[in-house]
Amino acid sequence: MAGPAHPKAMTPSKPGRTRTAPPQMPASWWSHPRIRTYLLFDATGLVYLLLGLVALRVIWALGAGPEVWDATLASLSSPLYVAFHVIGLVSVIFVGVRFFSFFPKSQPPRIGPAKPPPQPVILAGLYVAWIGVTVLFGLILAGRIF
Amino acid sequence: MRHFLLRIEPVIWLLFGQGLLIGTMLLTGWVLVVGIGVPLGLIDPAALSFDRAHALGSNIIGRLVLAALIVLPLWKGAHHLRHLSIDFRGAERDVVVAPILYGIATVASLLGVLAVARL
Repeated sequence: MAGPAHPKAMTPSKPGRTRTAPPQMPASWWSHPRIRTYLLFDATGLVYLLLGLVALRVIWALGAGPEVWDATLASLSSPLYVAFHVIGLVSVIFVGVRFFSFFPKSQPPRIGPAKPPPQPVILAGLYVAWIGVTVLFGLILAGRIF
Repeated sequence: MRHFLLRIEPVIWLLFGQGLLIGTMLLTGWVLVVGIGVPLGLIDPAALSFDRAHALGSNIIGRLVLAALIVLPLWKGAHHLRHLSIDFRGAERDVVVAPILYGIATVASLLGVLAVARL
């Protein structure tokens, strides 16, 4: 019986030239609508990071007592905060629509023995869940439920 | 650092993915009511009185939802901003940018869990 092969037996003596260059942003990225949309999707990261930090500030105030809570809520009425939250809402809807359009395509062909449902069914399910969670969470926060 | 960033990639991706999925679903209602509706007077501010808000947020389901609302968008944001930096020829500086962004997300996440725990 032959022994195990040397792990580097098939390594070329000199490293070959890489045949594919790593992807690079073209200098004219701003004139390509698809790249612009892709970058905008990435840039919503800043809005999400800030929305998370604002949510942290609000929930922290809830644990600090009624005076801090009332002052924090009052500060959210400033035009700067309202403008930020309007941008936040636009960003969240943009991310939802774009991400949910990717989601069905990114599913594996099989999950164990099961096949994922057809793509339109996954997409419809995501929208039902999104609208359902938004309506339920929104109505609870707005005092219409509970 | 590059090796470390690659090793923690699955955990980052889990938080990033849930930030996209669950974060987006929760943020829509949150921003509509807390960020826009109540501040503009479209929704009665009594809905967010301290007693009601505290009662809603301090039970187990409320705590879980609020923790997800704070933590998951932070990771979606940090990971996307990192890739925005890489796309603008930032592969070299990634060893500095990624730890800063993930560091902000980590500290804010821990504070978020603490904020929910002290309700």
